[in-house]
Amino acid sequence: MIRHHPSEELLLAYAGGAADEASSLIVAVHMAYCETCRIRSAQLEAIGGTLLQDLAPAPLASDALERTLSRLDQAAPFERRPRAMARDGTPDVLRPYIGGDLSTVRWRRMGPELAYVPLFRRGPVAARLLRGAPGAQSGPHSHHGLEYTLVLQGGFRDVTGSYGPGDLQVMEGDMHHNPIADPGEDCINLAVTTGRLKFERWAQKIVAPFFGF
Amino acid sequence: MTAGAREMNAALARVALDRDRAAFAALFTHFAPRVKAYLLRLGAPSALAEDLAQEALLNLWRKAHLFDPAKASAATWLFTIARNLRIDAIRREKRPELDPEDFLPPDTRDADERLALADDEDCLRAALKDLPADQIQVVELAFFADKPHSQIAQELGIPLGTVKSRLRLAMGRLKRAMGGAA
Repeated sequence: MIRHHPSEELLLAYAGGAADEASSLIVAVHMAYCETCRIRSAQLEAIGGTLLQDLAPAPLASDALERTLSRLDQAAPFERRPRAMARDGTPDVLRPYIGGDLSTVRWRRMGPELAYVPLFRRGPVAARLLRGAPGAQSGPHSHHGLEYTLVLQGGFRDVTGSYGPGDLQVMEGDMHHNPIADPGEDCINLAVTTGRLKFERWAQKIVAPFFGF
Repeated sequence: MTAGAREMNAALARVALDRDRAAFAALFTHFAPRVKAYLLRLGAPSALAEDLAQEALLNLWRKAHLFDPAKASAATWLFTIARNLRIDAIRREKRPELDPEDFLPPDTRDADERLALADDEDCLRAALKDLPADQIQVVELAFFADKPHSQIAQELGIPLGTVKSRLRLAMGRLKRAMGGAA
């Protein structure tokens, strides 16, 4: 049961096409778990379709149709990718970013309980996988910019609530939290940050930049 | 659904089933100039907008067999094709796109929530026309400006909170028109 969904604003940015790749990935992976948001997104796309339909047509070059018709024979039908089948609970939409299954990614250790995998970075925006052992704490921190955390496996809780697979947490600016992984299994999250994290413990302040946080 | 929209959906079905070129030409004539207008609104140079509009219709030809008229109208489907092409070609980013089959656990959603979206487009159009001008403006910018809300607010010279509340009001009305509870 999904309890924490993307905001209307984030979903609209995704459906409308203004969202950057990292926040689009967060929304798309959330929707792999959440049919409610697929429907919300389809509704927003229908608004886009209606707006497109009602735009005043911009005239094309006089030979545009003819040129396109002449290309049809070379245009192979689009084949849907065969489903990789999420045996280990990896959404297909995430696979290209992590190079396969969650169970086979190469984790980098950050201390005894935490590990991460950098996925990509565009300017100040970074996407990574984070893994915490049961009961692990990230250490209290706030943020420069936004932090999106989407649970892929296990769960965590903090002052804002508790989060399980498919749940999305959005923390902004000066909101402080200290997430703790649930007992039982490792907690694996997809995390996107739009600025550096501000750790409160001096040891973490010193090491965080070395790990790209 | 309007007669025109029904006609477009039918043409798309003929492309999917029979690779019908006349049906494709009808779709092209109707939609390619609108896709070009969409790309121009988003700031694409004219030559690129022209190329991408043709490319979008070529994608329609290649993907017609994947179109599901129960989930969207032809216009909405083409909007998603044009949106993704633009992100790819102009912003040079990928858009992580969910495959309809890529769905993990069984959801606990109400069956009632599943909407026949394509049938609601008339109500949606009527609701759009009924919106106050300041709400239409922010809705259009959400789709036709590649910008976050904060930047939209700055350019309109109004507070961010106002942009958000106008959008919230507009979205509430549009969704009620579609019969959605979300």
